Amino acid sequence: MFLEIKGITKQYGSGESCVQVLKNVDLEMEKGEFCVLLGPSGSGKSTLLNIIGGIDSADGGYIAINGERTVDMSEKALTMYRRKHLGYVFQQYNLIPNLNVKENIEVGAYLSDAPLEIDDLLKTLGLYEHRHKLPNQLSGGQQQRCSIGRAIIKRPDILLCDEPTGALDYATSKEILKLIAEVNEKYKSTVLMVTHNDAIKHMADRVVKLRDGAVRRNYLNETKMRVEELDW
Amino acid sequence: MRNPLIKRLPREFVGELGKYMVIFLLMACTIGLVSGFLVADESMIKAYDESFEKYHIENGHFELMTEATEEQIKAIEEEQVTLYENFYIDKASGDNTLRVFPQRKEVNLVCLMKGELPVSSDEIAIDRMYADNNGLKVGDVIPVGKEELTISGLVALSDYSTMFSDNSDMMFDAIQFGVAVVTEDAFADFGTGGLHYSYAWVYEEAPKTEAEEKEVSGDLMKQIAAVAPLTDFVPRYLNQAIQFTGEDMGSDRSMMQALLYILIVIIAFVFGVTIRNTIHQEAGVIGTLRASGYKKGELIRHYMTLPLCVTLLAALIGNVLGYTVLKDVCAGLYYASYSLPIYETVWSAKAFVETTVIPFLLMLVVNYLVLRRSLSLSPIQFLRRDLKRKQKKKAVRLPDFSFFSRFRLRIIFQNMGNYGILLIGLLFANLLLLFGLALPAVLDNFQEEVTHNMIADYQYILKAPVKTAQETAETYATRSLETVGGKYAEDTIQVYGLQTDSTYVPLDFTEEGVYVSNGYWDKFHLSKGDTITLKEKYEDTRYEYTVLGSYDYPATMAIFMKLEDYRDSFDYGEDYYNGYFTDTELTDIDEAYIYGTIVEEDLTKLSRQLDVSMGSMMYLVQGFAVVLFLALMYLLSKIVIEKNSTSISMTKILGYTNGEIGRLYIVSTSIAVAVCIAISIPVGYYVLGVIFREMIMQEMSGWIVYQVPPVIFVEMAVAGILSYGVVAILLYRKIQKVPMSEALKNAE
Repeated sequence: MFLEIKGITKQYGSGESCVQVLKNVDLEMEKGEFCVLLGPSGSGKSTLLNIIGGIDSADGGYIAINGERTVDMSEKALTMYRRKHLGYVFQQYNLIPNLNVKENIEVGAYLSDAPLEIDDLLKTLGLYEHRHKLPNQLSGGQQQRCSIGRAIIKRPDILLCDEPTGALDYATSKEILKLIAEVNEKYKSTVLMVTHNDAIKHMADRVVKLRDGAVRRNYLNETKMRVEELDW
Repeated sequence: MRNPLIKRLPREFVGELGKYMVIFLLMACTIGLVSGFLVADESMIKAYDESFEKYHIENGHFELMTEATEEQIKAIEEEQVTLYENFYIDKASGDNTLRVFPQRKEVNLVCLMKGELPVSSDEIAIDRMYADNNGLKVGDVIPVGKEELTISGLVALSDYSTMFSDNSDMMFDAIQFGVAVVTEDAFADFGTGGLHYSYAWVYEEAPKTEAEEKEVSGDLMKQIAAVAPLTDFVPRYLNQAIQFTGEDMGSDRSMMQALLYILIVIIAFVFGVTIRNTIHQEAGVIGTLRASGYKKGELIRHYMTLPLCVTLLAALIGNVLGYTVLKDVCAGLYYASYSLPIYETVWSAKAFVETTVIPFLLMLVVNYLVLRRSLSLSPIQFLRRDLKRKQKKKAVRLPDFSFFSRFRLRIIFQNMGNYGILLIGLLFANLLLLFGLALPAVLDNFQEEVTHNMIADYQYILKAPVKTAQETAETYATRSLETVGGKYAEDTIQVYGLQTDSTYVPLDFTEEGVYVSNGYWDKFHLSKGDTITLKEKYEDTRYEYTVLGSYDYPATMAIFMKLEDYRDSFDYGEDYYNGYFTDTELTDIDEAYIYGTIVEEDLTKLSRQLDVSMGSMMYLVQGFAVVLFLALMYLLSKIVIEKNSTSISMTKILGYTNGEIGRLYIVSTSIAVAVCIAISIPVGYYVLGVIFREMIMQEMSGWIVYQVPPVIFVEMAVAGILSYGVVAILLYRKIQKVPMSEALKNAE
């Protein structure tokens, strides 16, 4: 099993104000799988993603990639874990405002011993013409493409996407989803995407539905839809 | 209803405790120091000003070759003045010289500061500062000439607040020269050998203006010169022993005020930058508040409150410190250099305004302007976090440097405003540091140069030509003239007449003219072929000379000419001379013929005194400069980290280590700091050179070459780098503390 999530629990606060955000979450994924994590606000999906990403810690349970458990890792080892295995895409892009497009992608490239060829990737992302622009000169879709470029240039084993289309319009959202699907296809990255958009589940291999911190459904799609076919 | 935003202020204060504490401490210390200085200065100036009347200080004094007869006194007093005997005698006391007066009853009265005035012939009351600087106390027995006298008390002589043994001296000497009083009987016991027939005068009706005083004293000098052989004439307004203290305290006051205001403006801009950073971070909140109906003025007041509260609190605490602890420290600095009477602390409304109201107003104005500009954007711009006033800037294209180098350059470009203020701050801090480090070095260098370039180990000045059997002794003639006054203080120029084949001053006199000492050359920007005009001290007779070149003699302002020319110029006979240059002491000349001997100690008096007067002050300045370095570097570098906290957080999420992030963000600031230090050192050197030159031109006769040894620049760079090293450690800790959740919270 490539990614193993076992018995993850997480709570915030204590006593009467204690909120159980994740309740004994179990999940397994194969390498190269595209998984969509669905759920309403407050269902714990982003928290789970952050725990998988090593930027938040669980109160119980463990995460393992290729048998390597993150719970046993020191802070330094966790940094190396993120560096080696993960790519991150956020709803709000989180680009570095004073670096241009190419340099923002280089931020990711620096972390890999064998990064993708940057100009090729810029062309794939449709950003080659904009490579000298600062983030504030780009549209939302272009910024998100740049953020995906930063995440995938280092060939991560897992691409974690937290509501990557949450701030985008319909057409641009589909553009971005198409790009993520291409990345999954082309680079064989395992993709774990958090979304509250139910329609997106049709493009995934696996769909996991969370509610009140617990996995309510976990199933494999028998047939995957192409992004062009999605509608909401 | 009270503005609910007020509740944010304590939280903001606690959240930014480090920043506010650094600014508070810096301001409280500066204001405290300046307040203490101004209070001490004002209180002492008041005591000094009152001393003129309280101690009945002379309007001037003159000295005659012999004691004045009753007829001569009568003739002089016809010029509407009253004369008082003010005889004195200079006595050796170990290596030092004590100028001893009989007790004074009518003029230039004595302020008793400790112990008793002498009542018997074996007692002496010496100057308080001389005692302090030589470790003497009441009850000690000291040699005075051939006598041994017991110190009965410590005093301040009202006409010697500054220890100028000779009014033409470049600098006073508070260590090896002192004044003292003995009983009339004890004074009589000294005999008349070496007695100075000095008379003080007081106008029957004091001149109202300085111009009138000049005119009246000029007339008086002519009258005295007409009735008796005059050897010295010093009206009070030219008497450095009386006037120097008041003038120096006045100029110190201006310097301290300038220091305070420059620093407050720098701190105000630091506040401005930090507030702008806060506005960027809180753009969403501000947009929401503005959209909800909060007025711009309300938000300006809100964001100004904490800086103004900190300023006010720092000013109040600073003033309390100033009036209590620091006042005595500052007064101590004056007491180490000047012999001032006892002072009483006076409440100074002016000092309060200068150290509290003006800093508060400066802070208010600068912060208001920064905030008004920052908050003038529309609510929607704040909500969209689109805070750029100009059109979206294009990214600067960078050459194909390594990724890290380009990243760092981007950070430097992003923070140019911060680094600009840092540069100004460091310029000021380095100027202070250079002042603190360079002045002692300049004086040491000067002392070395003077010692190295002495004409001879002994320069004898004779009352009349007298032969010596010493074969290596070389005759010369000397006297002093004055420069013709202009914008700057008049300078006394020592004129030397030399043997054409002089071994002590080997100069080529094949052309007609004079050589000038390098100090004179530098101070007046002389060139070969220039004509200089000098005049007799108490007369209008003028002399013109053509400059042939300069001669390395930094000790005094001097000109050198052929002995024959000297004799011609001043109407002396063919065999005239009045001195010997020699490297060995002359033992075959009767002391009665010797007017004075110039040895190394005489020539280095200036640098020694400045070293003692300003030495402790220099340590204070150096310490203050380093504190300023630390505070400015910390405050402004911290903003760079805060401004980029989301990016730092994001890079952590991506897998960058703290070390790598430090290499990106701290190294960028390190480069900027290094550039700022590299710029500020030469600029500081140039600015201090201008200040130094003006200070010497305005306030001192003579010249000190402004030559800073290179090691000082190294020390400055090291001080800057070490200070930044401390700051870099703090910044690294700050980077470590940036949470990864920061990127998840903040939208770009």
